[in-house]
Amino acid sequence: MIRFSDVSVRYPTGTLGLDSIDLEIPDGQFVVVVGLSGAGKSTLVRTINGLVPVTSGTLEVGDRMVSGAGKRKLRQLRAEVGMIFQSFNLVTRTSVMNNVLLGRLHATSTLRSLVGAWKASDVELAFEALERVGIVDKAYVRASQLSGGQQQRVAIARVLAQEPQVILADEPVASLDPPTANQVMRDLQRINRELGITTVVNLHFLDLARTYGERIIGMRGGKVVFDGTADQADDAVFESIYGRSLTAADVLPGDEEPAVSTDEGLAP
Amino acid sequence: MTTPTRSATSSTRPTPPSKWPHTIGLLVSLAVVILAVWLVDANWIRLADLPASIGNYIVLMGQGLTHNPLEVPWSEYWVLATQRMLESIQMAWIGTLIGAVLSLPLGFLAARTVSPAGVVFVTRQFLNAVRALPEIILAIVLIMPIFGLGPLTGALALGIGSIGTLGKLTAEAIESIDPGPVEAALAAGARPVQRMRWAILPQALPEIVAFWLYRFEINIRASAVLGVIGAGGIGSLLSQLFNRREWEQIGITLVVIIAVTILVDSISGAVRARIISGGGRKLAARERHDEASAIV
Amino acid sequence: MTSTAAPTRGPAASARPRKPAPSWALWTGIIAATAITIWSALGIEFTLAPLFTDAARGWFVIQEFFAPNWGFIFQVGNAWLETLSIAVLASLVGCLLGLIAAMLASKVTLANPVAHQVVKWVLSVIRSIPDIGWAFLMVAFVGVGSLAGILALVMFNIGIIAKLTSESIDAVDPGPIEAADASGANSFQRARWAVYPQVLPNFLSYSLYVFELNIRASIVIGLAGAGGIGNVLLVQLGRFAWENVSAIFIATFVVVLAVDLASQAIRRRIA
Repeated sequence: MIRFSDVSVRYPTGTLGLDSIDLEIPDGQFVVVVGLSGAGKSTLVRTINGLVPVTSGTLEVGDRMVSGAGKRKLRQLRAEVGMIFQSFNLVTRTSVMNNVLLGRLHATSTLRSLVGAWKASDVELAFEALERVGIVDKAYVRASQLSGGQQQRVAIARVLAQEPQVILADEPVASLDPPTANQVMRDLQRINRELGITTVVNLHFLDLARTYGERIIGMRGGKVVFDGTADQADDAVFESIYGRSLTAADVLPGDEEPAVSTDEGLAP
Repeated sequence: MTTPTRSATSSTRPTPPSKWPHTIGLLVSLAVVILAVWLVDANWIRLADLPASIGNYIVLMGQGLTHNPLEVPWSEYWVLATQRMLESIQMAWIGTLIGAVLSLPLGFLAARTVSPAGVVFVTRQFLNAVRALPEIILAIVLIMPIFGLGPLTGALALGIGSIGTLGKLTAEAIESIDPGPVEAALAAGARPVQRMRWAILPQALPEIVAFWLYRFEINIRASAVLGVIGAGGIGSLLSQLFNRREWEQIGITLVVIIAVTILVDSISGAVRARIISGGGRKLAARERHDEASAIV
Repeated sequence: MTSTAAPTRGPAASARPRKPAPSWALWTGIIAATAITIWSALGIEFTLAPLFTDAARGWFVIQEFFAPNWGFIFQVGNAWLETLSIAVLASLVGCLLGLIAAMLASKVTLANPVAHQVVKWVLSVIRSIPDIGWAFLMVAFVGVGSLAGILALVMFNIGIIAKLTSESIDAVDPGPIEAADASGANSFQRARWAVYPQVLPNFLSYSLYVFELNIRASIVIGLAGAGGIGNVLLVQLGRFAWENVSAIFIATFVVVLAVDLASQAIRRRIA
């Protein structure tokens, strides 16, 4: 259970990132957060693992308090909350294996990690994670030699190696082409279903949100403006989230089943 | 929206921008140059003799090369020059190694993305101070009194002298890495040292090692200077030969210097290219910039 | 996470690869570096023992250094002005000649493959002679004095500037060159209007580096009799006048730092 109680985030620049959010995400749910850039979806996701500190209110993940946690507590929390990024964030100059083992750092002593003396059990975990995303054959290939979709699967494997209770994904498919984007989303969905890991994903594309989201949260100006199932989230709802009519750009191009009509999309 | 309507102001022709800043800059530069020419008190007349005297000396030096290099004493000159050049390379290598070992931690301390602002400031000032001093002064002041004269003193001077630039370049390489993996390691609960080891170092190390090699090439040349004050190597030999005006032997020595330097440069350059391209990143422009700053 | 749920991908992808051995290139590199290190350490008789046994001797000199002869800094003011002048003139001439050499050394600006290869060779010969070597040569050619210093630094600067700038030229955007060709420019016009504007910022930045470098180098070449503060340093060292050497040392530091700051400010304006 992730529980936001009256959570606000104000950045040092004065921008209000989150505006008194109240939200409960039960264990095992697949949540998709939508909204324009700057609406606060990234901030929402990053407060959950403490990458963005909460200014006021309380935020709990499981039985841990995120708001006001010290460095040590945050590290323990982050060990249990994995994160996937838009730009994959792999160390491209090193092997896929080393990248996945980055997910085991929290359970590795500093001395061991300095010399790269990974525990056999950690290497086994990394292999299983790579098998789960289907690229175990690339284990000893340099990350820079993989395609975008493969790199994002390595990033998912890194998260799985953490054995997390929660997976956060910040625009995980924004840098990928449409078929690959669908594949990565399917991977996330499958992992959520097979392992029951709570998953919170930021998405920009509406059709992906509707196809994969068990629950959809719409954000605008740092506030939650919609919270419901994928079926409830029709075009009218999206237009209210986006504050304008939908355009072709809001739908993933070349997708098999375009979910939104784009007739009125020529307006401004 | 699609038809651009030109506003009234854009149809009037603009007046050309003022050339005053440019002109003033040019005048100031000219004044500096004139002042320099006036102050320098150089014997400009000698310039006229230059072509003739270059010709003379090149003939003198060239004569050294026309003798059979397998015959005494010419064979000894070739061997001596090669031995001293190798000694210079040894000095430069050990010096670079010392500089590399000392500058790596300093580079992390001087990187804004890793260390707190206060530590960065103090470390950077220290690196600047080292960078400001020619190796020769370091050698005379810090090392010669303790270690005496010899190649060891030269190596230590080159080592300490290298810390300044290597530390600065290491810090810059660390600052310019992709912050994404560091954030990913942070999000996975990695401790600071673990982030340095697994997210920062793998990204920055190839460039850092390339700087080390580049500095090695520079240190070979710098070792020649230290030889003049008696630190051994090719510099000591050159200094003796020019004092005695042994032109034929100077010719032989210069050929050895040129050949060995070009050989080492091309090996080191090939290794650097290989190290940098290992990551598959396009670094040509960056590398050039770094070479420029590595020289200083 | 439990590992009971079977991976759902194809069988080809599920075969675990064996950990590959480190590449031969890495092994060669490590072995070569170790071998060179051992060879070098033996060759120069590397030891840190004097640090413990002879530190006292060093301490004596360092104490002398802490009592610099401040007046000496101003006594040798003229030598400083000479050093600065040598650096200014050498930078100016060296950088201009270096720019021309760079244009001749790049295949972008000199189409003839034989010609630019020859220029490259000449430049690497120039670069391989150390600054002090040029100083000795120039003192022999034109006699002791500042002129030798200027000429030595000019040669030294041509080598550096030409190498760095010609690499910048190799990497320019070919678009404007194509445009110049298409509009019927000759190769000089092309170099002036399509290449030069693109490399100018880099060239200026390299020139500033070279100027900073020249301040330091002009001290060094003074040791070979090429004028300026280096000459003074040589004399004071010969007299073991540590308090004067210390004064030169401090002044060097201040001058180099000042030039460094000034050129940083200029570089920021160029960028």
